[in-house]
Amino acid sequence: MHTDARTLENGSLIEGDLCIVGAGAAGITLAREWMDAGHRVLLLEGGGFDYDPRMQELYRGENVGLPYFPLQAARLHYFGGTTGHWAGFCSTLDRHDFETRDWVPHSGWPITRADLEPYYRRALPILQLGSDEWSAAGWQRRDSTLVPFPLDESVAWTKMWQFSPPARFGMLYRDAIVGARDVHLYTHANVVEILANEGATAVDGLRVRTLEGKEHRVRATRYVLACSTIQNARLLLASNGRASAGLGNAHDLVGRFFMEHLEMPSGNLAMLGRAPPSTQMYAFVFGRTKARGELALSAAAQREHRILNATVALEAAPLVEQGKSTFEWATPDVVDKMRVERVVPEDLPAASAVPRTFHLLTRQEQAPNPASRITLGTDRDALGMPRVRLDWRLTELDRRSFRGFYDALGRELGRAGIGRLQMRDWVMEPPTSPWPKSLGGGWHHMGTTRMHADPKQGVVDANCRVHGIANLYVAGAAVYPTAGCVNPTLTLVALTIRLADHLRGLEQRVP
Amino acid sequence: MNRRSFIRVVGMTTLGVASAGCAGRAPSDARALARPELLVALGDAPVRALGARYRVLTPAERDVDALRDAIVGSRSLRARLVGAASPPIAEMVRDDFQHGRMVLIDGWLFSVTEARQCALYSLLAA
Repeated sequence: MHTDARTLENGSLIEGDLCIVGAGAAGITLAREWMDAGHRVLLLEGGGFDYDPRMQELYRGENVGLPYFPLQAARLHYFGGTTGHWAGFCSTLDRHDFETRDWVPHSGWPITRADLEPYYRRALPILQLGSDEWSAAGWQRRDSTLVPFPLDESVAWTKMWQFSPPARFGMLYRDAIVGARDVHLYTHANVVEILANEGATAVDGLRVRTLEGKEHRVRATRYVLACSTIQNARLLLASNGRASAGLGNAHDLVGRFFMEHLEMPSGNLAMLGRAPPSTQMYAFVFGRTKARGELALSAAAQREHRILNATVALEAAPLVEQGKSTFEWATPDVVDKMRVERVVPEDLPAASAVPRTFHLLTRQEQAPNPASRITLGTDRDALGMPRVRLDWRLTELDRRSFRGFYDALGRELGRAGIGRLQMRDWVMEPPTSPWPKSLGGGWHHMGTTRMHADPKQGVVDANCRVHGIANLYVAGAAVYPTAGCVNPTLTLVALTIRLADHLRGLEQRVP
Repeated sequence: MNRRSFIRVVGMTTLGVASAGCAGRAPSDARALARPELLVALGDAPVRALGARYRVLTPAERDVDALRDAIVGSRSLRARLVGAASPPIAEMVRDDFQHGRMVLIDGWLFSVTEARQCALYSLLAA
């Protein structure tokens, strides 16, 4: 079912069993998992089915830390959410991403990779991914042209990626959601406040507004915030009627630990020999490539060098050219084209053009950092919500890890006789140096309501329930305690399926 | 690319191995040594420039004799250590990476042996 909240009589009451706030990758996944389960599911989407600049304007905020992308351009505010312009890059977190690393402050998840494994498999069809094969050897067995470099895997390895078409949730799942008997989608229903009980131990309801000035109430048994890392934190902080610092914020953690992936051109690779090894495994053609490898360091090497996790993509290019970072090449206009234009496969490179030189594009996790955070500003949006201030901050560990990574990778590529690696100037500078102009991210927002078993160290528990609030949950990359070095969508869909199972289990326990 | 000129030893060991012995000069035709594999990958001019940079930043190895002695000495030392014939240059290069005998020149991570080859090339290439 679908209702445009603008058509409801002002002051309407909407009631259900499970209320999901936000219809992006997480919200739609959760709603689909609850279809035909015999419960009334409310799916609230602030936007409509189409892009609307007035909706995007609600996401505008202030960047007060390191230079960052305009917030209103980094996320999409309509049915389908940011899958409306994502590029479809998918890979799994590594086992050690979940572990506590003594050189990475605040690292460690309360769950393991094994806990997430079955949910990764269930996430594949949702994202239109073809295979649960994530090893380079496995892909080589399927396609003999995909040959990984002969690396010593105790040092470095080829980490596999798969590419969604990309799945645009808004187009793919609209009919199923609208046609579902027990899922009721409300569009143009912007949640502006979470209403807690007197002790702020449970949620009593939600206050919803439309841009046209109507206000409604929503009441459900359980609530799930799935409206993106920044908006989830914004909503919790702004819901301060019962708790002055905001809901779930008894320990001043909501909004902190904002993380990105540092996606930056960091060096070059020159292949050796008159007949260098095939690099087909590492090639990528948008719209065509199903899987490719990137270069990564082993967990042991990361431990030895006390650095963060990262992968490196190879992009065939002459050494005389400079690679650009994500924020340099993808201006808001370019990002918008990814939403507007259909994905057209690029032409395949000429078969005779065997590349010998490559730009090395790094994607590195950001170290969890409590000072990197979302707070509320003094400006308000058209709905009366305080706008956000993003104070994106990085640490010396973030900077030092690039150098450690390239030292170790360059040595292994040399030992294996594959090629020689060149670092960019900024990689070689001391870790206290300012970040270069090529600083860039992946538009991957993570960590503002991090998961931890201890309420003093995390906003949600291992089941994504907000500590201290009986019926409030968070879905999405906001719960990541650490970011790993892979794009967040596959993992957030897997975590959402896990949350859906958990919530269904709770329902079944009710007499 | 406007790279700063500096050179650093990376890894576990130092360049000290270069002075470990200058005895076995038999295979030490300097021109034969001045053919780094990097030529194919990087081309003549970059290799020449990188070699010149190495010489500037490693004053003890700035002429043909010193560079030849450093490569041959290192090769002889390794031959003695393993009790076998002198290893081919390609094997020495791999061995450098294996054991962390690397130098950083203009951001490039090179084996110390191939860096010396580049330096020889910069002196001997016509």
